[in-house]
Amino acid sequence: MAPMAAVVDWIIIALAIGSTLVGGYVGYQAYRGYRRHDSRTMQALSIGLFFLTAVAFSIAFVGSLLLREGYLALQYQQLLTLITRLFQFLGVLLIAYSLHSRG
Amino acid sequence: MSEDPALGKLLDVLSDEYARDILAATSIKPMSAQQLADECEMSPPTVYRRVDRLQAFGLLEEQTKIRTDNNHYSVYTATLSEVCLELDTGSFEAVVTRTDESFPGERESDTADRFKKMWEDL
Repeated sequence: MAPMAAVVDWIIIALAIGSTLVGGYVGYQAYRGYRRHDSRTMQALSIGLFFLTAVAFSIAFVGSLLLREGYLALQYQQLLTLITRLFQFLGVLLIAYSLHSRG
Repeated sequence: MSEDPALGKLLDVLSDEYARDILAATSIKPMSAQQLADECEMSPPTVYRRVDRLQAFGLLEEQTKIRTDNNHYSVYTATLSEVCLELDTGSFEAVVTRTDESFPGERESDTADRFKKMWEDL
């Protein structure tokens, strides 16, 4: 691999981990909002954010690592993408639900 | 001539010296019930009674603070800014002006509380 490509690879990984951490932080604050106020709206928002960021990304990231290292047969790649997209969809769905739920 | 029954109740609340003291103190900075009891020289039950009444009229805002030992306690902030009493052709009308937050949850010090208010107010 050319050095440039390796650097870009690292940047991609760093950004991905950064997104997970920041997304997790926002989700965590939403979760605290839910716990402190017993608010269903914030509960849906926090689960949605976790699904959209931390969960979806972790699955994609860990999955791609396993594929690359050969621990996972290539035929599972599509299934992995499906699960990732499913969590992303559930995430935005929960956030949309939380926008329209009160209390 | 009938007048809005809420007006009489509002004037009752504001005619109470203790309630006015609480509003005056909390218009400077947020205070806990204990601080109010010390500051305004009244017993805690007196404070709580007045606080409940003021909250019922939306003149006082409650914020929950959490201490490190996980004990919750509340601080209160006056939201009342102005009461305007108008007499016009046979009836009184009171207009209560409250201090507005420029965005929901602005006065919350805790991120989670601010987040909740911002989000639920979208």
